[in-house]
Amino acid sequence: MNGILLLLPLSIVLGATFVALFVNAARQGQFDELDDEATRLLDDD
Amino acid sequence: MKPLLAAACPHCATPVEEPGFCCPGCEMAAAIIRGAGLERYYQDRTAPGVRPEPVVAAWSEVPVTMEPDGGCTVRLHVGGLTCAACAWVTERAVLALPGVEQATVSPTSGRARVRWNPAEVDLAAICGRIGALGYRPRPLAHAAAPDRDLLLRLGVAAFCAMNVMLLSAGLYAGWFAGIAPREAALLRWTSLAIATPAALWSAAPLLQGAWGALRHRLLSVDLPVAVGIIAMYAHGVWATLRGEEAWLDSMTMLIALLLGGRVLEQGGRRRAVEAAQSLAGFAPATARRVLGDRVESVPANRLAVGDRVMIGLGEQVPADGVVMDGRGRMEMAMLTGESEPVGIGEGDRVVAGGVVAEGSFEVRVTAAGEDTLVARMAAELAAAADRPSAPVLADRLAPAFTLATLVLAALATVLQGGGAGLAVLVVACPCALALAAPLTTAAGLGACARHGLLVRSGDALRRLAEVDLVVFDKTGTLTGGHPEVVEADPAALRLAAALARHSSHPVARALVAACAARGIPLATAREVRELPGEGLVGEVDGAPVRFVRGVVEGVGEIHLRDALRPDAPRVVAALGQRVALLSGDRREVANAIAKEAGVGEVIAPAGPAEKVAWIRARQAEGRVVCFVGDGVNDGGALAAADVGIAMGAGAASSVLVADAVLVGEGLAPVAAGLRVARSARGAMRASVIRAVVYNAAAVAVAMAGWMNPLIAAIAMPISSGVAVWGARRVEAA
Repeated sequence: MNGILLLLPLSIVLGATFVALFVNAARQGQFDELDDEATRLLDDD
Repeated sequence: MKPLLAAACPHCATPVEEPGFCCPGCEMAAAIIRGAGLERYYQDRTAPGVRPEPVVAAWSEVPVTMEPDGGCTVRLHVGGLTCAACAWVTERAVLALPGVEQATVSPTSGRARVRWNPAEVDLAAICGRIGALGYRPRPLAHAAAPDRDLLLRLGVAAFCAMNVMLLSAGLYAGWFAGIAPREAALLRWTSLAIATPAALWSAAPLLQGAWGALRHRLLSVDLPVAVGIIAMYAHGVWATLRGEEAWLDSMTMLIALLLGGRVLEQGGRRRAVEAAQSLAGFAPATARRVLGDRVESVPANRLAVGDRVMIGLGEQVPADGVVMDGRGRMEMAMLTGESEPVGIGEGDRVVAGGVVAEGSFEVRVTAAGEDTLVARMAAELAAAADRPSAPVLADRLAPAFTLATLVLAALATVLQGGGAGLAVLVVACPCALALAAPLTTAAGLGACARHGLLVRSGDALRRLAEVDLVVFDKTGTLTGGHPEVVEADPAALRLAAALARHSSHPVARALVAACAARGIPLATAREVRELPGEGLVGEVDGAPVRFVRGVVEGVGEIHLRDALRPDAPRVVAALGQRVALLSGDRREVANAIAKEAGVGEVIAPAGPAEKVAWIRARQAEGRVVCFVGDGVNDGGALAAADVGIAMGAGAASSVLVADAVLVGEGLAPVAAGLRVARSARGAMRASVIRAVVYNAAAVAVAMAGWMNPLIAAIAMPISSGVAVWGARRVEAA
C-alpha cells in the first residue's frame, strides 16, 4: 500500500509533464506542417 | 524585337545581347544570394530563377500574430517557387536578415511561416527581400489555420485513456488475485479523476456534434456515441461513490479513438483545399492608387470601387476594374488557362491577378478585396470544405441503431435489472461504426493525393466510387499541349527548323525534333527574330525566310497538331469502362485523337453549352459522370458532372469549381483515383458490416447479463482496431 501511495502520484505527475510538453509543442505549431518536415531531411545542411 | 540567344542572364536565363545580368533586379537577386553565401542555389536549381519585379511596399497593413513573448509570426504564400532550391534559397535569405528568428518555406505548397523580432526587422523588409529574389510573397488570408484545438483534445484524451487503462489493469488483476478494499478504492478514485477531463473537455466536440444534429432533427452516428459516453461517465461517478466496477477505461479509449479519426479526416481535407488554393494563386497584396497628381501605395484590400490604380509592366492587377488609359498585353492564365498574353486597351475589363506583359495601364476599380472574382472563388472553395458532408452509410443506419439500442436497453433493464440495461447502452456505443467513415475517407484522400489526384472532400471521393462514365476534354487534357509535326514539305521544314533553333517556343521544339526524326541536317540561320503569336523571321543560306502560321512563305506548308499525352491510351484502357471524348474541335481531329487513345465514343464539335447538355442527358439516363478537363470553357461541364476533375496546369477558375485536381503531367491519377475511391467504398462497407455484427453480438451478450467492464475493455479496441486495419488497406490500393 505504501509503495502505491508513492508511485501513483509520481506516475501521474510524470504523465502530466508529458501532456504539458505536448500542449506546449502543439501551441507553438510544431504539428502544423507535418508533410514538409519529411523533405527537410533532404537539405544536406 | 530583340535578337535571340546571344547570351543569357546568369540569374533568370533571359537572353541578353551582352554577357551579364538582364536587369538591375536580377543583379540584386544574385547579389543577395552571393552575399548570404547561398551560391549553391545555382547548382541545385532545376529551372532558371524568376526575374524580380518591383515590389510595392504596404506590408505594414498585413495582419500578423503577436506572440506572448513579443515575437511576431505571419503565414505567407510564396509564389514562383519552381523547385526545392527556390524554397531553400528563400528560406536562407530571409533567415540571414537580422531579427528573423524562424523561417520555413514549403517547396511543395509554397506555404511559409516567418517569426521575427519586431524591434529589429519588419514584415516589409522580409517580404521585400523575398520579392527581390524574384518570388511573390502574399499573405495567406484565406488559409484555414490548422485546428490545434482538436489535436490538443486528442492528446489529453490519449493520455487519460492510457492511464485509466493502466489503473484498470490493476483492478482487473485484483478481481482474480484479490485486492484490499482500500487499494481498490484508491485506484477507482484516481481513475475517475483522470477520466474526468477526457469526458468533460476532450469529448465536448463529440457531444456537441450529436446535440447539433439533434437540434436539426437529424439522427447522426454521433448520437448513440454521445449516449454511450454520457451513460458511461454518469455510471462511472455513481459506481465510484458506491465502490463498484466502472466502464471508465472503455470510455476514455473510445473518446481518444473517435478524436483520432476526426483529426485524420480534418488533416486530409485541409491539405486538399490549401493545395487547390495555392494552385489558383491570388491577387497581389498591394496596389498603387492615383490620388490627384500623386501615386501612393495601399494594401489591395483597402481599395474602394471608383479608385484609380496604376499597373506597370510585370505587376499584377490588384482589383477587378475597367481600363481607363493605356494599351498593352496582359496574361490572364489564372482565369483562362491561356498563357499567351491577350491585347488589352481602353474600356476593356481586367480581373485581379492578371499580369501585365506589355505596356502599363490606369484602371478604375469596379470590385476590390473580398468582392473580386478571385477572392469570391477562393472563399467559395474554403466554404465548400467547411460544409458538413452528406450523410454517409453509418449516419443512415443511425436512427434505426439508436432506436434499437434504447429499446433493447429498456428491455434489458426490465428483464435483467439496471446493470444489464447500462451494459447494453455501453456496448452498443458504435465506436467502430463512427470510425468507419472518417478513417476510410482520410485513407482514401491520402492515397489519391499520393497518386497525384487532390480530391477536395470525402463526398467527392464517395461520388468518384460511383462513376460509370468518364468523359475527357481533348485539348490540354487528352493532349498535352505539345505540338508535333504530322506532314511537312522537307524544304520548308529545313528552313523553318533553322529558324526554330533560336526559339524556345513549343512549336519550334517540335520543328527541330521533326528534322532530327527525318534525318534532315540543320541549316544555320542569322538575324532571327520572333513575331509573338505569329512565327519567326530570319536569314537562312543568305536568303530571307518567313515562317508564319505553319507556312514557310514561297516554299511550302508544315502541318502540326497537338500530340496525345503518352500515357493516355494506357489510362483509357485501365479505366475499363465507358469513356467518351467531348471536344470543341473538328470532328476529324477529334476522331483521330480518340482512335489513338482508344476512346470509343466521340462527341464533336461541342461548345461549352452542348458539353453541359450532353452530360446532363447522360445523368438523366442514370449515369454517374466524371468529367476531366481544363480551361475556362470547361467550367460548366466540370460543375455539371458528378465529379469534375481539373488539370492542375489549367485555368484557376476550372481548378476552383472542380471536385478534384490533377497534379503534374499525365492522366494516370484519374485511373488510380477511381481505383482508390472504389477500394475506399468497399472498405467502408466492410467496416460498417463488421461494426454492426460486432455490436449486435455485444448487445446480445449484454442482454443476457454476461457483459462486464473487462470484456468490454478487450472487445471494444479489437473492433476499432479492425476498422483501422480496414482503412489501411485503402492506402495500399
